[in-house]
Amino acid sequence: MTDAPPPTPGPARRLPVLSEPPRAPAPAHVVVRLRVNGRPVVTAVPAHHTLLELLRETLDLTGSKQGCDKGDCGACTVQVDGVPRLACLTLAVMAEGCDVRTVEGLADGFDGAHPLQDAFDRYDAAQCGFCTPGILMAAEALLRAAGRPVTHEEVREALAGNLCRCTGYTKILDAVVDASRALYPGTMPGAAQEGSGTDAG
Amino acid sequence: MLRLPTFEVVQPTALEAALEALAEPDAVAVAGGTDLLPNLKHRLAYPRRLVSLARVEGLARAPEVEADGTLVLRAGATLARVAADRRVRTIAPSLAEAAGRVASPLIRNMATIGGNVNLDTRCRYVNQTAFWRSAIGGCLKSEGQVCHVVPKGRNCVAALSSDTVPVLLSLDARLVQRAAGGRRREIDVASYFHADGTAHLLREPGEITWEIRIPPAVQPRRTAYVKWSVRGSIDFPLVSVALRADLEEDRDDAPVVGWRVVAGVLGSKPRVVKVPPAATGAPLADPAVAEAVAEAVHRQCKPLENVPYEAAYRRKLARVLVRRAVARLGGRDTAR
Amino acid sequence: MPDDPKKPGGIVRPGADVDLDAPQVARGQWLDGPPSIVGRTHRKVGAMDRMQGIARYTDDRKLPGMLHAKLKRSPHAHARIVAIDTSKALAMDGVFAVITGRDLPEPYGIIPWTKDETALCVEKALFVGDPVAAVAAVDEDTAIAACDAIEVTYEVLEPIFDPEEAIFRGDENKINPFARRGNLTKHVHLEFGDVDAAMAAADLVVEGEYYFEGTTHAAIEPHCALAHYGADGILTVWSATQVTHYLHRELARVLGVPANRIRVIQPPLGGAFGGKSEPFDLEFCVAKLAMITRRPVKLLYTREEVFYSHRGRHPMKMRYRTGFSKDGRILALDAKTILDGGAYASFGLVTTYYSGQLVCAPYEVATYRFDSSRAYTNKPACGPKRGHGSVQPRFAMEVQLDKAAEALGIDPIELRRRNHMGENRVTVNGFRVGSNGFLECLDAVERASNWKEKRAHLPYGRGVGVAGSTYISGTNYPIYPNDMPQAAVQICLDRSGRARVFSGANDIGQGSDTMLAVLVAEELGLRLEDVRVLSADTDLCPVDLGAYSSRVTLMVGNACLQAARRLRRKVQTSVAKRWEIPRRRVTLAGGEALDLEDPTRRVPMAEAIAWAEADHGLLGEVGSYNTPKDRHGDYRGGTIGASPAYSFTAHVAEVAVDPETGIVTVETIWVAHDCGTCLSRRVVEGQMEGSAYMGFGEAIMEQHRVDPAHGGVHAGPSLLDYRIPTTLDTPRIEAHVVEAPDPNGPYGAKEAGEGPLHPSIPAIANAIYDAVGVRMDAMPFSPPRVLEALEARRAAEAADAVPPWKADRRGEG
Ligand SMILES: Cc1cc2nc3c(=O)[nH]c(=O)nc-3n(C[C@H](O)[C@H](O)[C@H](O)COP(=O)(O)OP(=O)(O)OC[C@H]3O[C@@H](n4cnc5c(N)ncnc54)[C@H](O)[C@@H]3O)c2cc1C
Ligand code: SF4
Ligand code: FES
Ligand code: FES
Repeated sequence: MTDAPPPTPGPARRLPVLSEPPRAPAPAHVVVRLRVNGRPVVTAVPAHHTLLELLRETLDLTGSKQGCDKGDCGACTVQVDGVPRLACLTLAVMAEGCDVRTVEGLADGFDGAHPLQDAFDRYDAAQCGFCTPGILMAAEALLRAAGRPVTHEEVREALAGNLCRCTGYTKILDAVVDASRALYPGTMPGAAQEGSGTDAG
Repeated sequence: MLRLPTFEVVQPTALEAALEALAEPDAVAVAGGTDLLPNLKHRLAYPRRLVSLARVEGLARAPEVEADGTLVLRAGATLARVAADRRVRTIAPSLAEAAGRVASPLIRNMATIGGNVNLDTRCRYVNQTAFWRSAIGGCLKSEGQVCHVVPKGRNCVAALSSDTVPVLLSLDARLVQRAAGGRRREIDVASYFHADGTAHLLREPGEITWEIRIPPAVQPRRTAYVKWSVRGSIDFPLVSVALRADLEEDRDDAPVVGWRVVAGVLGSKPRVVKVPPAATGAPLADPAVAEAVAEAVHRQCKPLENVPYEAAYRRKLARVLVRRAVARLGGRDTAR
Repeated sequence: MPDDPKKPGGIVRPGADVDLDAPQVARGQWLDGPPSIVGRTHRKVGAMDRMQGIARYTDDRKLPGMLHAKLKRSPHAHARIVAIDTSKALAMDGVFAVITGRDLPEPYGIIPWTKDETALCVEKALFVGDPVAAVAAVDEDTAIAACDAIEVTYEVLEPIFDPEEAIFRGDENKINPFARRGNLTKHVHLEFGDVDAAMAAADLVVEGEYYFEGTTHAAIEPHCALAHYGADGILTVWSATQVTHYLHRELARVLGVPANRIRVIQPPLGGAFGGKSEPFDLEFCVAKLAMITRRPVKLLYTREEVFYSHRGRHPMKMRYRTGFSKDGRILALDAKTILDGGAYASFGLVTTYYSGQLVCAPYEVATYRFDSSRAYTNKPACGPKRGHGSVQPRFAMEVQLDKAAEALGIDPIELRRRNHMGENRVTVNGFRVGSNGFLECLDAVERASNWKEKRAHLPYGRGVGVAGSTYISGTNYPIYPNDMPQAAVQICLDRSGRARVFSGANDIGQGSDTMLAVLVAEELGLRLEDVRVLSADTDLCPVDLGAYSSRVTLMVGNACLQAARRLRRKVQTSVAKRWEIPRRRVTLAGGEALDLEDPTRRVPMAEAIAWAEADHGLLGEVGSYNTPKDRHGDYRGGTIGASPAYSFTAHVAEVAVDPETGIVTVETIWVAHDCGTCLSRRVVEGQMEGSAYMGFGEAIMEQHRVDPAHGGVHAGPSLLDYRIPTTLDTPRIEAHVVEAPDPNGPYGAKEAGEGPLHPSIPAIANAIYDAVGVRMDAMPFSPPRVLEALEARRAAEAADAVPPWKADRRGEG
């Protein structure tokens, strides 16, 4: 598809810059095998689809949200092999063989709700709830990695890629800290506590 | 949603297979995808094939230290890993710092150091949707024939926006480039960049970065990375300066014998700042040293309106932040 | 392909008690009546579904055979549409329909007097991004390709971006073809008392010019709409809207379909803040396309398109003169304001009034005049954003007060106290203010922030600032004049012991469904989880005007309370009859009916309801609410700004200003808010915290602008370039709930969703002054602006024109 010559010279043009989008051939579907929330999934997706589309459109797992579709907001955060990632910047085909966990699977193994979900519910940490699935997936990874109660500062760092427009983050920080204590009762917190400003927690 | 153009994806596991796939015309490498995919969504290119480096064996191997003390990073290592790695933190703390300040924690989990080195240049007039660009008629780096930053210029000056490149350069890092047919070359980071925002990498066709090699320090040193962006997270740098002070002895108060100061986010290549003699011979804590380095940065680094923030302000800010960073290296904690 | 792993029915809600804080009251142990759930902490209605990924927001919905729509937008800021050729697009595989402005020519507008936009541009495109055509296709990729294939011929016209220039040149270059008077959307000039005389007599006159940069809502959920046109001719539209009813009305008008053939449903909503409070192009387009194609059609905005829809805060240029007596009393206020409205009127008529009408409280203002003009410009249209129209003048007002406090040597909190208007007062512009907890708000933030020790005493570079404000709990009059109730609720009880509440109100994340559930549970003695709230569906629910101007708690709450009380009476009567006691002795609480004089006598609510159903037949009641009409002055515009009750807020902000870089770090915001009776504590706190956060972002970093040098393109329509604060930027926010119950509110409740934003910006501006002695009269307080001000001050200090700021407190930090 080198039908348009590069408009400027340069030692090594990296990407062809075209003034006209080429008429692309109809996208071929690619078979992808992965695990989603512990269950094996085999499906076919066009190669240019993202993991977010695979989840939301193909699998109808609409818990993961789309707020910008280019890495700016974090609403699409899911875990791939245990690591939180942006599903909108992950190609679906690259999840081949991976273990994908979404908010729909967060409560698996818990009695109805993950302690984070329960804490978010008690603190009213989800207002519109649109950022919440992504925040929960990022927060869960933090708590799992910490293995002990976390501090407000640690939560601020870990959630720094997830925008929330409703809450001012206050209740979210409180809820995550609270959940970490519920998950790891009796463990010492990592560092001195920052008061978050509410009497809660 | 912001749609991607259509392409096919190959995910080789063997390096040679990946390099062969990349040798085809219109094939583009993708590592973490955090730079390439937004650019494709913005229709800045229409590659026919993406060659994923994510599964290439050995590319994501953990950082290592060779017998002579060279720190070796494989290009596929994520920035999260580079930032957290113990070896990197001890041998090249400014690199760990820079890697840890890229974008957001989520992006650092995906983004690779190789992708950060090969990051495309950025500009407020180009990193927008195709519709948006159509409203300004495009520019040299997209669909048009003019530059909106330097309207009379014939060269694109889109900003080198990588956080790690200035640091790597300040540490005299070398890149190991691989291409199909067993081709392998090593190149200084300093020589890898070129002042043309539409093609700022002196990368040969089909070539990838395989390794980043940071030679051992010949001299005791202190390093720091200065980044400023409006927000504490997510944002690309608006001020970006890597500092390396070589010391006579391994003490904070030892006299400085040499400097390596490199600034990013100016034009399309990193700028090595010439540091005057006034900045050497005295310890880092000497205010005159900090002032001399800051002054040199201020004089030699003129930000452009290519990234979305007042250039004149960024220039002033760089001076202050560099001065403070030098003072901090010298153990003086100057909040102001 | 796995099915949905969670079914709503299967969710166990651990510890889903009504009350999470208070200990359960043991049986028969009340001292002063049964426990109340009002004001406690509650799990929010429907929140767990959102947190488990089960709730289906608009874009999460899919219908069989659904098509995807996309809009073709104008790349010119001002252009006449000469011709549109859709033939290539229509010929493409997978394209089902293409429409242009001519298919939907009926103008609409949220305000009936300014119907000045069409679903797609007909004659002219008025800003970069104005939509000119829409496509429905099998998928988004095809729809995008088809949009690219549509050929539009434009005659490019000269755009105008400056509001004053626009007004001045209105005759010769009129932007909006439907506008009545050139480029002036609205001009309001009102005067109360003899301002000139009072100003002349004032001991101190403070003059200031303020500039408020535009900002936008940036809800994380982009707008989305889905339409289905049934074989029965019923059109159903699901939309991420906060005003189902107005959308319903306008759909009927524009599509020419009777309202009774249209159903509008608002699914769970991912944030709005005013940005979804009027009908938008996408809703009309999906409806029309669904009617043409007979297929369901969905349209989801990209983030970029959300910025084009905008309706955010108006940029305002404000010139304020305030006259004070020696002891700090406000004798006169004279305000002149230019509003930059963008291409369409939106709510602009009201905004123009609000820009002046809402500053006459919480302070006694003896005489007042304002003159506000809203201009059309070739930019995305401005509209209502949280604190509609009054956040900008509040910034000016409160900075003026701070300047006066300094000039008069009075502590800024003390100055505000001296001007406190008190409760049950009428403002100079005729609004009747009932309950008023402003003094308590000031006390709370003064105490919590340790104000007395900090103000003027912190080292150079650190400072505290205070600001106060008031806001409406709903507007006294609906947007289109009518005599029907302003809010209505229907409640049914059934023998399972459950209440179903049908309300047209929109829960946009602010928790209004929870508020209704709390009221019903309280009134009927039900547990919170026994109340189902079904809201914002025009087929199921009575008409409600929607979630704007903070009207829901007060208006819908009152309607709900009325219906609940009617039911309560019926249940009490039936229980009293069974127990052969007077009705007054029966109370309903905690899921049971009880004898007040013998709390051991009790029956579960399910049974009590069964008794009542046996006695009265099916248990359903309606309640409605209308505002009292004695709340305002009798002059043209006097109703705009009138509300049944006013909320009050005070903030103290503590900042650190880096004198060398101009970087402002807001460390803590203490916010105290009088919400009347607090119905659900964490919901109220959450509104306060979210408001303070949003104001902080506007003050420090947000800028919604177009680039006049590049044809008026948006300066950065993305969440990367339009920066909203992350966890690492956001200050510590401390919420203090103040309760001054208002007789007009349900159980005394007032609003909490918008008022708490107002003082954020001036409190930060005033804190910057306390820190480094520079006045930030233009927003945002971005580092370059602050540094420029600092450099100017330093130059003045060096020239001995002003004394060095905090000379004795330098170098302490
Ligand atoms: C919201 C957001 C914020 C961001 N903020 C920052 C920031 O603050 N600082 C910053 O530096 N970056 C930032 N980025 C850009 C990007 O995330 C990083 O630069 C990242 O390191 C890119 O790595 P990647 O692996 O994702 O690259 P990719 O997107 O996979 O690739 C980037 C480019 O490098 C090429 N490439 C990748 N690997 C190799 C290789 N081994 N050899 C040769 N070429 C290769 C690709 O072909 C492509 O052209 C941000 C991105 C987003 C979306
Ligand atoms: S620097 Fe000029 S040519 Fe390069 S991207 Fe920006 S506007 Fe385009
Ligand atoms: S949708 Fe993925 S980061 Fe915003
Ligand atoms: S709760 Fe609405 S965006 Fe976070």
